[in-house]
Amino acid sequence: MNDDATIDTPPSETVMTDEPTTDLIIRAENLTLRFGGVVSLRDVSIKMRRGEILAVIGPNGAGKTSLFNSLTGVYQPQEGTITFLPRDGQPLSVIGKKAHQIARAGVSRTFQASRLFSALSVFENVKIGAEDHRGIGLVGALVKGPGTRRGEHESDKVVIELLEFVGLTKEANLIASQLSYGARRRLEIARALATDPQVILLDEPAAGTNPSEKLELAVLIRRVRDERGVSVLLIEHDMKLVMSLAERLYVLNFGSVIAEGSPVEIRSNPVVIDAYLGSSHEAATD
Amino acid sequence: MTIVSLANLKRLGLTLLMMGVIAIMTGSPGSSTAPPTTGVHGSFFERVSWFGLFAVQRWVLFATLGVIVWLLVSLYRPQARNIRRGVNTVLALPKSITAKRPTRIAFMVLALIVVLILPKLVHESFWMYLIVEQIGVWILLALGLNVVVGFAGLLDLGFAAFYAIGAYTTAWFTGALPMPALFHHPIPTLWVIPIGVLAAMIFGVLLGTPTLRLRGDYLAIVTLGFALIIDDFVEIQTGVTGGGIGTSSVPHPSINVGFWHLHFGISNTPYYYLCLFFIIIFIMIFTSLEHSRIGRSWVAIREDEVAAESVGINPLKYKVMAFAVGAASGGFGGVMSAGLVNIVNPSLFTYQISVNVLVLVIFGGMGSIWGVALGAIVIQTVTSYLDNYQPWGYQINDLYMYIGALLIIMMIFRPAGLLPSRRRAREFAAAEGGEEIHTDEVLSGEQP
Repeated sequence: MNDDATIDTPPSETVMTDEPTTDLIIRAENLTLRFGGVVSLRDVSIKMRRGEILAVIGPNGAGKTSLFNSLTGVYQPQEGTITFLPRDGQPLSVIGKKAHQIARAGVSRTFQASRLFSALSVFENVKIGAEDHRGIGLVGALVKGPGTRRGEHESDKVVIELLEFVGLTKEANLIASQLSYGARRRLEIARALATDPQVILLDEPAAGTNPSEKLELAVLIRRVRDERGVSVLLIEHDMKLVMSLAERLYVLNFGSVIAEGSPVEIRSNPVVIDAYLGSSHEAATD
Repeated sequence: MTIVSLANLKRLGLTLLMMGVIAIMTGSPGSSTAPPTTGVHGSFFERVSWFGLFAVQRWVLFATLGVIVWLLVSLYRPQARNIRRGVNTVLALPKSITAKRPTRIAFMVLALIVVLILPKLVHESFWMYLIVEQIGVWILLALGLNVVVGFAGLLDLGFAAFYAIGAYTTAWFTGALPMPALFHHPIPTLWVIPIGVLAAMIFGVLLGTPTLRLRGDYLAIVTLGFALIIDDFVEIQTGVTGGGIGTSSVPHPSINVGFWHLHFGISNTPYYYLCLFFIIIFIMIFTSLEHSRIGRSWVAIREDEVAAESVGINPLKYKVMAFAVGAASGGFGGVMSAGLVNIVNPSLFTYQISVNVLVLVIFGGMGSIWGVALGAIVIQTVTSYLDNYQPWGYQINDLYMYIGALLIIMMIFRPAGLLPSRRRAREFAAAEGGEEIHTDEVLSGEQP
């Protein structure tokens, strides 16, 4: 199946490097997403390899978050296909599925503006993600049998382990809204990891953090991949962070993929410099 | 002292303004011939009795009342602030959840003793009737609506519909309606409980499944419409439901198990214990639900539906579940009420009833089981007292005016309710202090 993917001819405007026959985890092909007359994504194809840190960059309004929302079932693109290929199990066609089904299948995400359950404690925030919400009925929740209790115990263990992983053990009993901005971003990552995902989509994880928090986040994101084996798809505006973290990048502009490649390739790609950095320079001089 | 702060003085001003409005509303009505200011003038400068002690002008009475309200609330307020700051009172680690504080247990034991011996203390049958019919049943209704509004955050303006379904199911199955009982075989009232609960639940799911995809305001309108349809249906279908007159022959409940025969008759005491038994059961069920996975999912959906979905929670499923649980207890209230007063007719299930239950929930504290129960006790006692004794020239028609004023004052001083749930109090605090929270955001705008 994966071989089919590599034979596909890339869209004309895409500058694709030769696709090695690696193990894919997400394959999005020819996505077009429209809101009325506004085209948010135009014929976008993305291939994400298992175990890589992949970044999507582009100027504001390029369609990065629309792409994330399409991949996680929040938006339904009118054209194209998205296939999630879990490690073991059937490939899952994402389009048409509900956001919660995709999350349970193994595609987890964080949000651009942090969306924690702000009145709940740090512990509870992660616990909601760690709990299996599929097989519970009213009776099961009421009659706290051994199965329910074991489930509680299991999810508590997951939460404790994850809080340690992101370094929020001491803050476990704080209310989420009392955390510093950087800690909130880490908590969001912990909550996203609690669903035991295979891919995690991070929408500007370092937005609003200070330089030292940025460094911590970069280390954390790398550990998510290295220690937990979770593939990372990243949107980020901070170029230094992206270039140091990502192994491969896609560049979006006006809803289309204009370039794809390694950080070094992207940095020297004239199309990117022109469309992306160029426009930004103009914006800066305005 | 925190009483003399700018914010608190603002609250004093607001309270006095409210009192001024109430003074005008309750003042002499004025007439079509006199200029409109005459009535307003009279509202403030008429001499009235000050709690039956001495005569003062009305404005003195209302100003004093305003200051008293303000003082009470100011002294009571620091607690609410502690909730905001009180990190350590909120323990989330598994062990701490189960650890109960001894004061709380002592309080619960005391409350249990009081409610158990209450019938011995209250001799007047009117008050016993009131406690059962006006408080007991309403606590059941408020607890049910609390699941929908307080736990899941869904605004339901048609809760009386489920109350009606429970009551009419009871009337039907006991053979009290013009329509013959199912299989022409009436059954005892208490046996209808599971049927009534199930019927209300089925209606809850049927109404909820298509409509709970809608967001807040739309849902409120749909539930309102549903309640009006049910109300109209039972009023029009005379051959089925008895129309506007309804029925007054629902049999009293009775228990016949082996040698144990208990017939509920005119005396209110057995009903009291029956009601109490079910209230305790309901409180236990709902407390257990609140702290289960389902309860946590409800909080997640209430706080941020998109984020809840992103961690794999199916919002529709849990909303329908909340709706069904709420409907079930509404239906239960209906069965109890029908068995108690023997009467079922449309006037018991008007829109006003839905609003009334909602008021109890908001007043007591959305999402707080004990708060809602306390709110029901307080409001129902006061309104029943006012209705029956009519003190201080109180008029029945003015009731909702006072309740409205009470709710406005509540929203100013204690928006999270009389006895707020900790989570809800934090949500309100976060909403209030939202700007403070975000001031420490350091935007290191390193745009590429």
